[in-house]
Amino acid sequence: MGELPQNITTGGTPSVPAKNDEHSPGESRALALGVAGWLLPGLGHALQLMWGRAVVVFLAVGLLVGAGASMKGNVFTRQGNDAFDTLGYIADLGTGSFYFFARAIETSGADVSHADGDYGTRLLATAGVLNLLAALHAYEAARGHKA
Amino acid sequence: MTVLHPLELTHFQAFLLFAVVISVTFGFLGRRRSKDRVKYILWSLFLFLLVGIGIGWAMFPFSR
Repeated sequence: MGELPQNITTGGTPSVPAKNDEHSPGESRALALGVAGWLLPGLGHALQLMWGRAVVVFLAVGLLVGAGASMKGNVFTRQGNDAFDTLGYIADLGTGSFYFFARAIETSGADVSHADGDYGTRLLATAGVLNLLAALHAYEAARGHKA
Repeated sequence: MTVLHPLELTHFQAFLLFAVVISVTFGFLGRRRSKDRVKYILWSLFLFLLVGIGIGWAMFPFSR
C-alpha cells in the first residue's frame, strides 16, 4: 500500500476567498434606508417603493405616538433617574422624528398618577420599538433578505 | 404649538388599540399577498386577545 497523495486534504471546508461586502454600495444603501426608516417612520419602505408598508408603518407609529402623548404618557428625556428611564428613553427615541412630535403635543407634561398615563407610556414605547423593527425590515429588504 | 384633546381609554380599549395596530403592521411587514396578510392579521389579533384576556383571568384571584 502506498502513501496517501500529498494533495488530499483531511476534511474541513474548502477555503473560499472571503467576500468583504460590508462596505459595498449595496450595503451602504441598505444602511441608509434603515436609518431613513428610523428617522421618519415608513420612509425606508417608501424609498423602495413599498407603498403599502410605508403607509401602514407611518400611520401605526403616528397613531401610537399620538394616542400615547394625548393620554399623558411619559416621554422620557436624557436626564433619567434610573435604568428604566434610560430604557424608556431609548424606546421613545425609536420613533425617530416623532419623538419631537410627542414632546411638542404633550405641553402640560406627563401624568402617570392615573392609569391612562401609564397606558400612554407603554404605547409610546411600543411605537418606538415597532418603528425600530420596521427600520430593520427596510434594511433587510434593501439587502434582498426579505420582501 | 399643537395640542391634542386629552384621550381617555379604558384598559381594554388601550389593549385593543395596541393589538390592532401591532397586528396590522406585522401583517403588512411579514406577508406580501393580500390574502396572507388578512389571515395573518386576524390570527395575530385573535391570539393577542386570547392571551391578554387569559392573563387577565389568571390574575383575577390576586386582584383583591
